[in-house]
Amino acid sequence: MSCAIQVESLKKSYGSRTVLKDVSFCVEQGEIFALLGVNGAGKTTVLECVEGLRRYDGGRVFINGRRGVQLQSATLPAHIRPMEAVKLFAKWRKALVDQEMLEALEIPQMGKKQYGQLSTGQKRRLHLALALTGDPDILFLDEPTAGLDVEGRRSLHGQIRALQARGKTIVLASHDMAEVESLCSRIGILNGGVVSFCGTVAQLTQKVGRQYTIRAVTGQGEERLEVENVEEALLALLQKYQRQDEAILDLSVSRGTLEQHFIKLAGRRAQ
Amino acid sequence: MKAFFYGVALQWRLDIRSKTMLITCYLVPLLFFALMGGIFTSLMPQAGDTLIQSMTVMGVSMGALIGLPPSLNEVYSGESKRVYQVNGAPVCFGLAAMALSSFCHLLLMCAVIYFAAPLAFGAALPENPAAYFGALVVFIAVSLAVSGVLGVAVKNQAKLTMGSQILFLPSILLSGVFFPVELLPDALEKLGAFFPAYWGYRLLADGGLCLANLWPLGLCLLLAIGLCGLFLKK
Repeated sequence: MSCAIQVESLKKSYGSRTVLKDVSFCVEQGEIFALLGVNGAGKTTVLECVEGLRRYDGGRVFINGRRGVQLQSATLPAHIRPMEAVKLFAKWRKALVDQEMLEALEIPQMGKKQYGQLSTGQKRRLHLALALTGDPDILFLDEPTAGLDVEGRRSLHGQIRALQARGKTIVLASHDMAEVESLCSRIGILNGGVVSFCGTVAQLTQKVGRQYTIRAVTGQGEERLEVENVEEALLALLQKYQRQDEAILDLSVSRGTLEQHFIKLAGRRAQ
Repeated sequence: MKAFFYGVALQWRLDIRSKTMLITCYLVPLLFFALMGGIFTSLMPQAGDTLIQSMTVMGVSMGALIGLPPSLNEVYSGESKRVYQVNGAPVCFGLAAMALSSFCHLLLMCAVIYFAAPLAFGAALPENPAAYFGALVVFIAVSLAVSGVLGVAVKNQAKLTMGSQILFLPSILLSGVFFPVELLPDALEKLGAFFPAYWGYRLLADGGLCLANLWPLGLCLLLAIGLCGLFLKK
């Protein structure tokens, strides 16, 4: 599969502080790719360099297609109406207004409400509509569901999946690991100014080791264990309760989450 | 160009929806005109000779220096600027659209003063209306360019308000709008010459596009446009 975005040896410093030492990754066409990293790792800087909002000191960025960008903390003039904003930026992009897309995002339903009167969810949908104006091939979504309620989140996830089904390449920046795990085909983890991992969640699991959470409830209370060898740990736990003559009321085993893998990998690098 | 003109027309509508712009471009200058016009002409009947010019300088300075910078600040200190950038609009679009829209609002407000002053207070009309409006266009453009620098350069709202006042108050007090500049101490008269309102008032009151008053305004306009470009590039 060909790359929609190819980043090679990207370098960026702010004064004497080097944020990006040597960042390289590729986002394949039609995939949902997430860029992860702890606060200050340089995710926003990478995204801004790729989006064309920030100059970089070294390296190369190749973009194969038209870009659409939804910024995390985007605002518009308080008195502008949603359809006016859509028409304005459609004219700047020399694009037609896609009524079907607007209907899907419920933009016409916002009516004569002004930007300052919109709810967080409506603002997010409006900015997504602006990013989609001009039918871009690559979409950058920075924390698209931040501040949304469960319903808004689910609805937006559905829309993101629908966009991928239409062949769009989506680059996502999010702190919500569950969201990343459920939406993304591949992830890149930014750590110490380099991409320390780039691949699928399954590949990440293999790299950092399988991790399971065992939860046991007895009359004494709840016990939680995070282990790599689940069989061995389960056996030891059962033997322990048998020796203590303790009845197990509930027992569950769950696979390690992306969040656990991420913390483990970020922790290793920090050490 | 289509997008630009749509943007300017949209900005005109947004300004009408914004109470701040209505207050600073219409309500306060016209109320001030209604009140002070009466006081000026009853205290000094000869004030009627320059009433249109003085009220116009006051109104334009207020609308440009107090009204425009907060709207610009909303775009250029926050994330709106980036929304414009990522959606294909040039970075100067917000400034240009707001300045042009304010220009039209201020011109309208000045036209109200121009036509109402003779009727309400028996004020004298300028001898050459074409030259007067030509001078007015220059003065509004310079005032908006100066306020543009303020709006794009100062990111902090509190500092911006202070900056606007620092420019507005001396512009009004030292330009000759309320009392002849000849009555001011030398130092203050010289200080007044650093503000566009000083030259703007002379330009309007001299009844035409006199070169001696035009060149300082032209210089100020070029300097302000250059500074705006510099701050926008940052």
